[in-house]
Amino acid sequence: MTDNMKSVKKIQRRQSFANSIGALIFSLLLGMVFIYVIGYSPIESYKAIFGVSLGTVKGFALSLSQATPLMFTGMSFALAYRVKMINTGAEGQLYIGALCAALVGVYVTSLPGIVHVSLALIVAFIAGGLIAGAVALAKAYTGANEIILTLMLNSVIIFFTSYLVNGPLKPPSSGVGQTERIAESAQLTRLIPQTQLTTAIILAIVVALLVQFLLDRTVFGYEVKVTGQNFKAAKVAGINVSKISILTFALSGAIAGLGGAAMVLGVNYRFVEGFSPGYGFAGISIAALAAYSPLAVIPSALLIGVLRAGTITLSRTTSIPVELVDLIQVLVIIFVAAPTMIKPIYKIKDKIVEKFKTRGKTHGGEEL
Amino acid sequence: MIFTTDLILSILASTLRRAVPLLLASLGGTFSMRAGVIDLGLEGMMLAGAFFGVMGANITGSAWMGLLIGVLFGMIFSLLHAVLHVSYKVNGSISGMVINLLAAAVTPLMLNEYFGMSGKSSMVESFTNPHWEWLDNIPIIGPILGGQNILFYLSIILVAISWVFLYKSKFGLRMRMVGENPEAASAVGLNVKAYKYFGVLMSGCFAGLGGVYLSLGQMNLFVENMTAGRGYIAVVINAFGRFNPLGSFIGSIFFGFFDAVQTVFQSFFPSQLVMMTPYLVTIIVILFGLKSGRSPAGTGKHIEN
Repeated sequence: MTDNMKSVKKIQRRQSFANSIGALIFSLLLGMVFIYVIGYSPIESYKAIFGVSLGTVKGFALSLSQATPLMFTGMSFALAYRVKMINTGAEGQLYIGALCAALVGVYVTSLPGIVHVSLALIVAFIAGGLIAGAVALAKAYTGANEIILTLMLNSVIIFFTSYLVNGPLKPPSSGVGQTERIAESAQLTRLIPQTQLTTAIILAIVVALLVQFLLDRTVFGYEVKVTGQNFKAAKVAGINVSKISILTFALSGAIAGLGGAAMVLGVNYRFVEGFSPGYGFAGISIAALAAYSPLAVIPSALLIGVLRAGTITLSRTTSIPVELVDLIQVLVIIFVAAPTMIKPIYKIKDKIVEKFKTRGKTHGGEEL
Repeated sequence: MIFTTDLILSILASTLRRAVPLLLASLGGTFSMRAGVIDLGLEGMMLAGAFFGVMGANITGSAWMGLLIGVLFGMIFSLLHAVLHVSYKVNGSISGMVINLLAAAVTPLMLNEYFGMSGKSSMVESFTNPHWEWLDNIPIIGPILGGQNILFYLSIILVAISWVFLYKSKFGLRMRMVGENPEAASAVGLNVKAYKYFGVLMSGCFAGLGGVYLSLGQMNLFVENMTAGRGYIAVVINAFGRFNPLGSFIGSIFFGFFDAVQTVFQSFFPSQLVMMTPYLVTIIVILFGLKSGRSPAGTGKHIEN
């Protein structure tokens, strides 16, 4: 790579970073408007939200543990988007991964800890990958729209797992839809006792590093890049675009599956029906905020995790609802996708800054 | 299980009732797709129509005013889709999903804020069945059509109007041209963006009406996420019906039938498995029923300014 290309890449990266920050700030501001409308002080509320999640050990641990599943689903969406495919199926893949991990955790016993955990993760990874791979295969052969297909599959999977944990897999003593508790050997180690923060977050970071390496430093990554940028050119260059798309989409589903496994092995210790409050869809927002870079998904998920943890804590004492975060997430997608929408506001800001500068100069001149 | 005539008639009546929201949403999708804009935001527009219809009925005390307000909000949500996709050239699938996610976030927030409830709203004025005596007394047809409310008849009329508009009017022909080939349409002097905006706004209008049917026609309240994927099924019906209002009608009856049958089976099988079937049927249709279907050639294309 020449120096010139490097600097172009650097400028692009800086631009998308500024873009994401702008989108986030603007979404948070609109969130403030909402808080004001429902009758709370916006500044006090944000102070409370960030104070709780950044100022206390428990709050910070909650932020990190809330961020963990979002890291997986965010990476999942970002990776599929690299081949211009939209994986709205992360929610379903999460459930499949969780169910498989729970089955391994409950019914495979007398294994040493590290082997048991690895086995559960691998099975969840494969299951998520198979589901997503099947969707991509269907798209390649029948031209089916992957968005509708994955959304329908989400419903099928959620209903089916709900049937399983209310029927054949339900422990006799349980009143709600869930599986038996997984064996202790399958449980992830807690990083801070009495919080939900486990080694799952380390797994997420390792996966992000691996995926970034795969995209940046391997032939497969290069083929993914070309396929995503120009489908036709990739075909002409002799890249098997269907194969690349199917593999990438399968990997995207596999990562979401890992996220589900992390929830079971680290947080709930069993598969609980309807355990996800929309982590799959939150992934879209995280990926957009990260400009679809797997590594940047980690800080993006942390930001949203901080917001989620703070709002969850605040919603216990005030009537500020947790859904506020969902709204902010959607706004983030809008402003990242259409950065020109907030450009007029940048212009106003520039004007104000300029005014202050000139005023400062003239004032300065007079005083000196 | 005994299939008596009564049971069959009630399934048929229920088929029509369940087809109406699908029909309305897929009619909306037809307008959007024919103008060359992907119709993935139908679910959100429906959900917005369902909620704001109930809110409107609660404020005004009238189901008809509720309908107007629901339709209006369906159109407001579709306007955002149009602004994002047509004006800001955001990927149509992304902007459609934005509409769905926005409605999924806004409706529970508003439910909490306005009704002070979570999960479902309080009951409001809704549409009642007209029960014309002459119709009820006709054998076979009476029990099927007698159980339909006024919005059913309205949607049948809308199928006819949509068909005439798309295939027999100059405006409709031009809109289809924009959908097929925006560059050529622009070259002959059509305002491509205006036609696209019109198509998308019509999709919001119809989908909003479909949502109103769910909340004020079938029920008299709003339930969180009450559309339950019907907007997505409507996208499939639209493609299945070859982006033609008559095709949407046939497709909606087909899907409405599966939806109606599942309620009968719920007493025999575990409810989760039965509730899964409409989505499974949709997947099967996507995989095997859409092969020869093709979207208008200009879908998602923009013209250079």
